[in-house]
Amino acid sequence: MNERMNATSVLARRRIYETFISPGFYIAMSLGLVLAYLLVSGFVRAVDSSGLAFGLNPLYDLIGRSLEGAFGRTLVEKLFAEGPFVFALYIGFLPMLLYLAVSSVFRFGLEKKIGALELLAYGPADGTAGFLAAFLKDLLLTVIYLAVLLVFFAVTAALNNLLLGPTFFFTLVILLFVAAAVYSYGVFASTLTDNSASAVALFLGLMVFFLIILMGSFTIVSGYVRNLSTVFAWVVKWISPLFYWNLAMQAVEIQGWLLYAVSLVVLLVLGAVVLAASHFILKARGVRP
Amino acid sequence: MTSKRRIQAIAVVVLLLVFPAVSFAQVPVREEQLIYSILAFNGRDYAGTFTTKQAEAMYLKADVDNFLTVRKTLVYFWPITQDWKTDTSALNVPFEGRLLLVGPDGKDRALESTPYTYYNVRGEYELNWKVAKGPEADQAWGQYQEIMNAYWASVQQYYQERAAYEAMLSELTSTITRLRDEGRDVSRLIEVLRELKAPPEPQYPRDYVVPPAQVSEAFILNLPVGEYSLRFETLEGELMQGSEIRVVVFEKRRAEGVGLEVIPGDKWTRPVESKTPASVLYVDGSADLYLRPFFQQEYNDLYYEKMRQNDARGNPNLMKWVRIQQVPQAGIEISGPGRATQVVREAPFYVEQVKGAALGYQIVPFDPEGAHKDREASLRAFHVPLTAGDRVVRLQVQDKDGQILRSGGRQIRVVRPSRAGILSLILAVLPLVAMAVVLLRRSRVYTS
Repeated sequence: MNERMNATSVLARRRIYETFISPGFYIAMSLGLVLAYLLVSGFVRAVDSSGLAFGLNPLYDLIGRSLEGAFGRTLVEKLFAEGPFVFALYIGFLPMLLYLAVSSVFRFGLEKKIGALELLAYGPADGTAGFLAAFLKDLLLTVIYLAVLLVFFAVTAALNNLLLGPTFFFTLVILLFVAAAVYSYGVFASTLTDNSASAVALFLGLMVFFLIILMGSFTIVSGYVRNLSTVFAWVVKWISPLFYWNLAMQAVEIQGWLLYAVSLVVLLVLGAVVLAASHFILKARGVRP
Repeated sequence: MTSKRRIQAIAVVVLLLVFPAVSFAQVPVREEQLIYSILAFNGRDYAGTFTTKQAEAMYLKADVDNFLTVRKTLVYFWPITQDWKTDTSALNVPFEGRLLLVGPDGKDRALESTPYTYYNVRGEYELNWKVAKGPEADQAWGQYQEIMNAYWASVQQYYQERAAYEAMLSELTSTITRLRDEGRDVSRLIEVLRELKAPPEPQYPRDYVVPPAQVSEAFILNLPVGEYSLRFETLEGELMQGSEIRVVVFEKRRAEGVGLEVIPGDKWTRPVESKTPASVLYVDGSADLYLRPFFQQEYNDLYYEKMRQNDARGNPNLMKWVRIQQVPQAGIEISGPGRATQVVREAPFYVEQVKGAALGYQIVPFDPEGAHKDREASLRAFHVPLTAGDRVVRLQVQDKDGQILRSGGRQIRVVRPSRAGILSLILAVLPLVAMAVVLLRRSRVYTS
């Protein structure tokens, strides 16, 4: 066990170093920050004497219409009630989440395919240490990126006389836990498949599936479509990180701190269960495709 | 075909071509359907809706009186407003019988129709709805009729007195003119003319905001929270085909919310609402704000929308705040950097057109004794003066005892696009600079 932990630690450090000296991390970070900047500056330009008027800014006009058409006015009102930061946080976080998750999935699949993982397994490490290292690396870089986002938003808020509301901070914490669960699904997809392309496809498919289920339950509908979506969502939601994210956000809304804490714990448990499943799959299938 | 007929046929074709709007006009298809006509209380007032045959359920608020009738009418979809409508002028057949309701406990119960009326009496604020059932309904209707009859009688009397007054005025005027022409003294008659007063016009009764509706019969549903199954049984004891429907009875999730109606000084006809507690009012500071605090309740978005209009869409996973009524005798505490803390009270204001060719208006304090004599105030609200120099203004809504209401706190922040915002963009591209440095260093390390 100690050997595995040691191997995980060494591999994670190595991978973090490799991430820092490659351009992908910086590009994803910059892309996320620029998107966040556009959303915040657009918000400032969309404010008039009565408050936020989406029509005043073309970007916000598009966002407002799209969100309202799909999810209804209530969601839009809530999303921007404290300002632009909650929405900007989601959008700004997305590129990094995708980059870290997809790159790890791809790399793990590639290492399996070319036999690098097998080579490691003959030495001091095993497959589990390999994917745990990737998981730890992703988690640590996510913490760093969330800290960068926090600083960026704090500076932007101060420059524009905006406020980082309480929902923003709760969302910031939730995102770390959701990301952990998402990364564990990335590991899961890698262990189930034999090559990078299949792993990435499976991972993205899973995430899109979870997203569709969640969006389906949020979409403003009437009639049997809602029932169908609700029934389907009820079955799948228990394994979806997005369900627990939604639960935590609802807890924030009603200031149900216990529910909030439970949602975060369940996200951790979900991640741990998925990682454990990945460990057993890897053990059963071996590190070679 | 004779030449006359041929000409007639050509004329018809030409007419159809000339008036394509007539030949291709779309008339919505009306379909005869059994509907439940619903008069539901939505927490603020009564609103009517109906269930079509496609409706999966009807939605009602718990523990309040809701009125249902079962009828056959023509139903059609109106594409312009994207909703379903009834054509009761062509077909409107109410059914007599009883409703059979199965509750969450699985027990059956029958509901008979009851005479009812509903009305909103005038109070200090909006929420003064009353429902009268059975004999009380007739009593309420009778009371309203009495008030109206008394009013119309006083109107009649007024017109008689007015006619007598005008006749006397005319007679006196002509007598004075005649006597003056004859060179006689008219001072006594002028005194009488001066003392002659026009009769006062009777005031329209102000007892009701919404007067009682004429007493009619309906099934009154006042149910606790839960899902029910409903069907209609005719007088002959037969179940009406297509009358089975689910009834979703729901309750508010929270009730202690305080919202703010925000009326910007330059757009007073376009108020906005700040409903989410802890939300921030971002404005550009170009106009003062006029606020009205209100109590609000939180409901499921889908349920509430469908209660108001059964074919409406809503979001089943979201809760929404719904305005109920203004906070009575409230105060708003205003504070902020560079401002002395003060409590503003509701005051009347008058909207004046800006003088000159320029369009626009300004909101000024209402002056009933001076400039606005014999007029009514345009709005009553809490005035929060704002300037572009303000950065943060904090608001706390107080109740009539001066206690701060929980969830009645808001911040107003004045934001304007500034050049300093570009610093954020520079921050956003900093990682690219870091990347360039790292790549440069890496290439140097590897090349050396």
